[in-house]
Amino acid sequence: MADRIIFVCILVLAGVYFWATSHIATLEIGDPLGPKAFPRLLGVGLLITAAMLLGEMIRDRKTVKQPAAPAAADTGNPAVVVMAVVITLIFFLAFETLGYLLSVSIYLLVMTNIFNKKGRWLVNSLTAVIYGVGSYYAFTQLLGVNLPAGILPF
Amino acid sequence: MDASTFQHILNGFTVAIQPINLWYTFVGVFLGTIVGVLPGIGPSASIALLIPITFGMNPTSALIMMCGIYYGTKYGGSTTAILIRTPGEAASVMTSIDGYEMAKKGRAGAALAVSAIGSFIAGTLGVIGLTIFAVPLASMALKFGPAEYFTLMLFAMTAVSTLTGKSAAKGMLATLLGLMIATIGIDLQSGQARYTMGIPEFQDGVGFVVVVVGLFAVAEVLRGLESVFKGTAPDAMKISGKLWLTKQEWLRSIGPIWRGGVIGFIIGVLPGAGGTIASIMSYTTEKRLSKMPDEFGKGSIEGVAGPEAANNSDTAGAMVPLLTLGIPGGGATAVLMGAFIMYGIQPGPMLFQNRPDLVWGLINSMYIGNIMLLILNLPLIGLFVRLLYIPPGILYPLIISISLIGAYGINGSPTDLYLILFFGVVGYVFDKVDIPVAPLVLSLVLGGMMEQSFRQAMTISGGNLQIFFGSAITMTLVIMSVISILIPFILPKLKQYKEEGKDE
Repeated sequence: MADRIIFVCILVLAGVYFWATSHIATLEIGDPLGPKAFPRLLGVGLLITAAMLLGEMIRDRKTVKQPAAPAAADTGNPAVVVMAVVITLIFFLAFETLGYLLSVSIYLLVMTNIFNKKGRWLVNSLTAVIYGVGSYYAFTQLLGVNLPAGILPF
Repeated sequence: MDASTFQHILNGFTVAIQPINLWYTFVGVFLGTIVGVLPGIGPSASIALLIPITFGMNPTSALIMMCGIYYGTKYGGSTTAILIRTPGEAASVMTSIDGYEMAKKGRAGAALAVSAIGSFIAGTLGVIGLTIFAVPLASMALKFGPAEYFTLMLFAMTAVSTLTGKSAAKGMLATLLGLMIATIGIDLQSGQARYTMGIPEFQDGVGFVVVVVGLFAVAEVLRGLESVFKGTAPDAMKISGKLWLTKQEWLRSIGPIWRGGVIGFIIGVLPGAGGTIASIMSYTTEKRLSKMPDEFGKGSIEGVAGPEAANNSDTAGAMVPLLTLGIPGGGATAVLMGAFIMYGIQPGPMLFQNRPDLVWGLINSMYIGNIMLLILNLPLIGLFVRLLYIPPGILYPLIISISLIGAYGINGSPTDLYLILFFGVVGYVFDKVDIPVAPLVLSLVLGGMMEQSFRQAMTISGGNLQIFFGSAITMTLVIMSVISILIPFILPKLKQYKEEGKDE
C-alpha cells in the first residue's frame, strides 16, 4: 500500500518539478546549457525511478506472498509522534519571542513530564532549569553562539 | 613513495601532536564514544550539529575533531550492542547478536575487551591502508576532468542508492530528492533563482546542516519517543567478568580481527556499502571459516571480534575516496565533506598538494585517536556505560534542544528551525516506508558539484553527450553505475538459481 502512495507521489513530484523547471527565467547569455538542463535530467530520473518502483512492486507481488504476519508488530504510535511534533513546533514558534532560556526550559519541562513519567517531577524540573541555564551560559559566553535573549533582560 | 611525500607525512605528525590538536582529537573521540554509546544520535547528526558551533575554529583542529567523532562512534556503538542488545550505531548490529549472548553468559567484560582491542587493531590497520593508498589515488585523480568527475559521482550515487536500502528504486528516489534539494537557490552560473517558492531564505539554498540535523537527529528523536511511550526501551546489563581476554579467547579472536580489518577497509573504500555491510560480511565469513559454526548466535567471540574490526577499518577506508577524490561514498562521510566545505576546504587531490599539513595532520591524528579510544573504551568504559542509565524521556528532548542551537546558530534564522522539524518528520516517515536517507544526504552534498561538472563537460564537448563515454575511465564508471543499478534485479535471480541447485 505504502509503495503505491510513493509511486503516485513520485509522479506528482516529477510533474511539479518539470512545471517549475519550465518557469525558470533564462537569459541567452552565460553557459550554453543554462540552468534548466540538469533539473530536466533529474525529472527524467524521477520517471525512471517510478518505473523501477513499479517493477519492484510487480516482482514482490510474485515472490512474497507468505510472510505478512510479523509486520504488524511495529505499527508505531503516530499519535505520540504528532504530539511531539506539535509541542516542538510551538517551541520553535515561541523561541525568538520568549528567548532561548525561557523557551528551552519550558519545553524541557513539558516534554520530560510527558515522556519521563517514571522519573519524578523534581528530576525533570531540575534537568530543565539546570540544562537551560547551563547551556545558555556555555553557548553564548564560552562558544560565542548568538542565541536570542527574548523577554528576559539577560 | 617519494621523498617529499614522506616529508609531508612526517610533518603531518608534528601537526597532529601539537597540544591544541591533541586536545581536539581527544574531544572528538570522547564525543564520538558518547554518541556511539547513546542510541538515537549518530555520527552524521553530531558532526552536523558541531559545524555551526565550531565555526571560527582553526579548520585543521575542527576537522580533526569531527573525524574523531566519526571513527569514535564505532567504538561506542559496540558497548550498547553488548549490554542492551541495541546497536548504539547501525554498524554494531552484528555485535548485538553474539556480544549480548556473551554478556548473558557472564562474559560481558571479554566481549567489551575484544571489541575495543579488535577495533583498535583494525582501526589502526585501516589508517595504515589510508596512508599507503592516499597518494597514488590522489595523483590518479589529478588527471580527472569534469566528465570523469561527473561519472564518478554518478557511480557513487547509484552504488549508494542500491546498496543502502531494501529497495533500489527507493534509494534512487532518495538520491534524486537530494539532488533536487541541491538545485534550490540561485544558480551560480546564470544567476537565476530556482525553486525558491518565493521564500527569500531559499535564495541561498537549503542548508545542508538543517537537512542532516532534521533527517538524522530529529527523526531519530521522534522514533525514540515513540518507543519510550510503548515502554520498549530495554534495560542495560551489568558488566560481568574481567575486562580482558583469556589466552584461548585471544587465539580465537586474532584471526577474525585481521580478516575483519581487511574486509572492512576494502568495503569502506568502495562507495555504497558502508560499515553495516562490512560487519555482516565479516560475520558470515567467520561463520563459514569456523570449525564450530553452530556457536554463532550463541555467544561466539569470533562473531564479535570480526564485525567490530570490520566496522572500524571501514571508517578509515571510507576516508580514502573522501580525501583523495573528494567524493564521499556514504552518508557520514558526506556530512564530513559538508563540514570541509563549510570551512572553505575542498577535499580531493588538490588538497594533497595545497594543504599537505591539513591532510596529513588529519590522517595522522587518527593513529593517535585510536590509541585514545582504546584507553577510553577499556579502562574507562564504566564511565560511558552510565550514559545508558539516562532516562530516554529526558535524553530525547535534550537532543532536540541541542539540534535547535545547531540549526539556529548558522544563520540565526527561525526558518532553519521549521526546516529541521520538517525534515525530521520527513525522516520519520521515510524510515516507516523504507526510504533510506543516507543517499539523500550524499547527493545533497554532491549535487552542486555534480551539476557544475555536468555543465563544464557539456561546454567542453559543445553539447555532445558522447564526452561521458569518451575515455576509458568514464566508460568504466558508466558501466559500473549501470551494473550497480542492475545488481538488485540480478542478485535475487542468482541466489534463486543457486538455491535451486542446492536442493537437487
